[in-house]
Amino acid sequence: MKFKSFAVLYLLFVVALSACVPEPVEEIPEASSEETFPEGDNLPQACLDDAFGCAVIPSGETIKIGMGAPLLGDYSMFGIDISQGVQLALAQDDGFEGWTYELIAEDTGGLPEGGAAVANKMVTDSTVVAIAGHIFTGSTDAAMPIYEKAGLPMMSPSATNPMLTQKGSAVFNRLAFTDADQGKTAASLLFDQLGIRKIGVVHDGGSYGQGLADVVKEEFIALGGEVVAYESITPGEADYVAPLSAVASGEPEAVYFGGYAAEGIVMMNQWSQAGLDGVLFFGCDGTYGVEFTEKTGANSEGAIAASLVPPDSDEKTRFDAAYAETFPTKAGELSAFTWSAFDTGGFLVAAIEQVAFVENGTLFVPRGALVEAVRDLDYVGLTGRIKCDEIGECNASGPTFYKVVAGEWQPLDLGTE
Amino acid sequence: MIHDLKTRKLSPELIVRIVVGVILSIYLGWRIYLSIFGDQAYGPDTWLRFLITGLVIGGIYALIAIGYTLVYGILFMINFAHGEVMMLGAFVGFFVLEAFAALPTPTEGNPELTFLNAYPVIALILVFIAGAAISALMGYALEKIAYRPLRNAPRLIPLISAIGASIFLQNAAQLLFGPQRRQYLNPDLLARGSGWMIQVGEKSVMLTYTGVFSFVLSILLMVGLFFLVKKTRLGKSMRAVAENKHAAALMGIDVNAVISKTFIISGLLAGSAGVMWGIHNGLFNHYVGFLPGIKAFTAAVLGGIGNIPGAMMGGMLLGLFESLGPALLGIDFQLKDVIAFTVLILVLVFRPSGLLGEALSEEKV
Amino acid sequence: MMKTSLKSATRTGMIFGLVFIFLTLIGFIVVGANMFGGLFVKSAENQNSVRVDAVNLLVFISLFGLLSGVVFQKRQPDAKWMHVVLGGLFTGLVIGLIAGGAVFLIGILHVKGIDLRNYLPNLGPDTIKFALFHSTPLSAAQTYLIFFIIFSLAGALLIKVISLGDGLKSVFDQVKARAAEQVDSQQLRDLMKNKFFLVGVGLLVAVLLYFLPLMWGSYWNYIMGTVAIYILLGLGLNIIVGYSGQLVLGYVAFFATGAYTFALLTAPYPHAIGLNPWLAALLSVVVSVLTGLLIGLPILNLRGDYLAIVTLGFGEIVRILVRSDLMTPFTNGPNGITNVGQPSWLGDVFSDVNYMHFLMLIVLLGLFVAKRLKDSRTGRAWIAIREDQTVAQATGVNTFQYKILALLIGAAFAGLSGALFASRNQFIGPEDFTLMVSINVLCIVIVGGMGSLPGVVAGAFVLKGLPELLRELSDYRLLAFGALLVVMMIVRPNGLLPDRTTWFSRPVPGKDQKNYDEVNQ
Repeated sequence: MKFKSFAVLYLLFVVALSACVPEPVEEIPEASSEETFPEGDNLPQACLDDAFGCAVIPSGETIKIGMGAPLLGDYSMFGIDISQGVQLALAQDDGFEGWTYELIAEDTGGLPEGGAAVANKMVTDSTVVAIAGHIFTGSTDAAMPIYEKAGLPMMSPSATNPMLTQKGSAVFNRLAFTDADQGKTAASLLFDQLGIRKIGVVHDGGSYGQGLADVVKEEFIALGGEVVAYESITPGEADYVAPLSAVASGEPEAVYFGGYAAEGIVMMNQWSQAGLDGVLFFGCDGTYGVEFTEKTGANSEGAIAASLVPPDSDEKTRFDAAYAETFPTKAGELSAFTWSAFDTGGFLVAAIEQVAFVENGTLFVPRGALVEAVRDLDYVGLTGRIKCDEIGECNASGPTFYKVVAGEWQPLDLGTE
Repeated sequence: MIHDLKTRKLSPELIVRIVVGVILSIYLGWRIYLSIFGDQAYGPDTWLRFLITGLVIGGIYALIAIGYTLVYGILFMINFAHGEVMMLGAFVGFFVLEAFAALPTPTEGNPELTFLNAYPVIALILVFIAGAAISALMGYALEKIAYRPLRNAPRLIPLISAIGASIFLQNAAQLLFGPQRRQYLNPDLLARGSGWMIQVGEKSVMLTYTGVFSFVLSILLMVGLFFLVKKTRLGKSMRAVAENKHAAALMGIDVNAVISKTFIISGLLAGSAGVMWGIHNGLFNHYVGFLPGIKAFTAAVLGGIGNIPGAMMGGMLLGLFESLGPALLGIDFQLKDVIAFTVLILVLVFRPSGLLGEALSEEKV
Repeated sequence: MMKTSLKSATRTGMIFGLVFIFLTLIGFIVVGANMFGGLFVKSAENQNSVRVDAVNLLVFISLFGLLSGVVFQKRQPDAKWMHVVLGGLFTGLVIGLIAGGAVFLIGILHVKGIDLRNYLPNLGPDTIKFALFHSTPLSAAQTYLIFFIIFSLAGALLIKVISLGDGLKSVFDQVKARAAEQVDSQQLRDLMKNKFFLVGVGLLVAVLLYFLPLMWGSYWNYIMGTVAIYILLGLGLNIIVGYSGQLVLGYVAFFATGAYTFALLTAPYPHAIGLNPWLAALLSVVVSVLTGLLIGLPILNLRGDYLAIVTLGFGEIVRILVRSDLMTPFTNGPNGITNVGQPSWLGDVFSDVNYMHFLMLIVLLGLFVAKRLKDSRTGRAWIAIREDQTVAQATGVNTFQYKILALLIGAAFAGLSGALFASRNQFIGPEDFTLMVSINVLCIVIVGGMGSLPGVVAGAFVLKGLPELLRELSDYRLLAFGALLVVMMIVRPNGLLPDRTTWFSRPVPGKDQKNYDEVNQ
């Protein structure tokens, strides 16, 4: 093949591509940020002073809030439920000086790799100003450094692993309780209140599942109990009889599972086959939800999981009604985080409206200022008062535990145990 | 390698292989000994559970593997879309069971009775026939649309076409039926998670009804196929076409028809495997054919591709390795696929034509 | 003749009818109709949306019917007018009955209030109403029937009319001949060899390549960066599969080892080694080559398909091991590696524009290396091995050496791509290295044209860049991808831009019957 073919090829490819190129925008690379943001000759001073520049939203465009969530596949119940909660919050808001809000939720598959891919895409869109997410711990962990470099503040309604706020990130905040709390409470429940002395621990290998399982294991041993088995499973499989049999051979009284409902369902349905008849299944916020009870039927009687249901209030009743009207499921059915999702949306909108300003018919949102505003904001939502501390923990209320009674999740009543 | 040993040709490569083989065997033997007789060993009830799981899944893998091997023996192509044929069988079975469960047949004592529970045996037979038949049709259509035009093309081209068909079918199923997982509605007679209890020492091990059902049905189908290939005229034609297409054509065999029938048969088996999967495992979605497809193909190669008893054996062995392997070797259950592939690689390194060798013609590719 | 016409018409009709039902059930008719309708009919802002929908659907049906008529007529080019007319009508009738009947049924169910969304989630009430032209099932079915009949007939007649004038092919030939008269091809060829011309074109290309990343925004930089990385991967696999003919289905293993080496050496966690990214990239290549050696030596003498499955096994083993608890202290397991090191030049970290320029340079370099390899003695040895290994060995080519060399060079390319991927993505995890990646790269190589370098570039653009352009169809992207692969292999198995030195350009007997006969005259 001759060089001329090369030349012709490149010429063609370049010509073809120039046809697809949008209007050229003059760009001056920012010294301290990875991405370049469009600037004109007459940018407001606030933008030039800001370390990350401004998001420039021309009139006619929407103010976008991004989210990386599992929208397809086995974990989609979380993504769908939480994105719906945020959507409702954004829809109920009147907008800011003529600009409305829009949620851009992209699928991560529940994987860290998906989280990084979504983050890389979000930072290329200059009208995305904040991130409601991500939803799963692993995917949040992968995305954090990318958002950090781009100056996009995050508020996650459901990422629960404690190490996320230990990394010194300026952009990450969360509404959800931490697994340190959940794990400690679970271990104490098992040991002190249920009187169990021997447990097996199973996890799915992900940061969330394994993180939680490790906390429970340490706490339970510290309390004086015995962990007779510690196994990990690969998510996405159809048969867990083998690892569960290995756990059963240690004769535990209960099995703690750190992971998601998709795997919990398969395990629960194979409980007797694995020789775990009569052994308690103790799950977490990841195994909560209507899908778990539906797909396990009678097999899951007596199983325990954690949820985050706020106390009753007028606002909650109104939200529940609006949610049931707009979407085919009820709030709190698919996952434990519908209400925190709603609060996340409201919180971010409030923070944005604090720092955004309009000049010459264009909306400017200074990114660095927004990051600080999110960290400093004092907000009252459905789930209570939300105020973030220095490391990004914004929620004080811990998880509540639920038990499957006659095929439905009921609050765990320890009085009758 | 065996041949080299016989002729006493001691190349350095051969010496390396022998040394590696011996070291591996000793190490593995020691691990296995530890896991059976050591302190931390599992009790016999746990081993029995592993064995049961392995046999059931092995049967399903074997059925799918036979499909791969049949097609390979005749066309020398890897039918990448075979896993999706199994997936289709699973879906068809699901819909038929749902239909039966929605058909009310109330009686005096039980006003809520449905067809599914009133006539479970008939329902099951019909489910399997439906699943197998539609899968067979799919196999036929696949061959006609995606493979026949490429009959004379170099080998890589039909492979890509097969990959394309596989991706297309997976996504078609996802778009048609949705990405969420579906759960099979078993008749009460064959409910999941219940079975006979076997006493092993102080413990009892459950032998699930669905597991036994799947295993027995797999064996029956395999025996049926073996009979078909060895004793019937169609089987003879298939073997002839596999041996040499042109000569078979000269002998008056309609090669196209035989190839179509081969795809139909492999589709039948895959469809049954799909329905079995649904009945035994319960949950499935459009992606259910992908991993079992790859594993079944591995099993077929393990037994010697083109070799039907080899595929059966390979499937069974693969199921057993997956289930017993991690426990025997004392490693994590996460690594069970690693075991499967490592076994394959080791077998092929030391015996390049698979465990039972190839039953192929001299026409090498 | 009549009977075969009718049979062919029935078959075409049935196929198209079933395809239409399929498209309805997956909800594509809404998306597709709006897309095609939008092309032909510009709708005003405040026009009645029901009418807009109806018009779009009619356009869609018309095009569909036209296509069916075309396909029908193409199967029997020598038919008489009467047969054409009757056949076209009949095809349309069959499609109309099948599609119209199905829509009628769905409509009736909808009217009765039966919601099938539990089983067919894309068949929502909006879709159904759209398919029914927002009117009653009966009138909708009638509309379908009429329009399909008319346009099927039109399609068949169209092809017949074109074929009357010696067909489209002769039109093209005439245009080509006339163009050739205008332009003196010898002059053109001289021009192509003229050094100044070449330098001029090269400069123009270089200038364009420099300014494009500055102009098209960070989103396109990201997409084109992915395309560039896949071009590199394609080049590497092209050497293994395209030049030396070894089918390797586990290419992702080398990609993974390169990426993980780079990430582990430059990320602050789990091992804070903090090596210079340039050195780390070099080491990635070395480690990938070593992996290639480790994997390749024991298995190189396996036969084609066995090699494929064994390499597939290796690819999966690498991924599972990296993910496992066993290796987690070393690789951080399923949580992946964050904050992968970024390359920098003279103190400044690469921005996305710089990155794009850098990737373009590497791709150009890669293309240059691949081209020189192909034209070298090594390349010829590879082609000999690919064509017939036994004969090659008989003519004195050391097949083992060359085969392993191909594998190692391919691994090197993959290692470099891995390092680039890790650095650009800032994060890698084991699920970034699934079997699908190997399959994607294989498709790029084969769809582009095995052994052909412009083919690899074209393949990467089509398979990785095109889906981004068609974002509205994102739900149907993979469906189209699968269908495209099958169609491409049937219609154009040599690839988009075939390699002309390859055996595959020889006519395929049976398929290219005409060419075959011509060649053998």
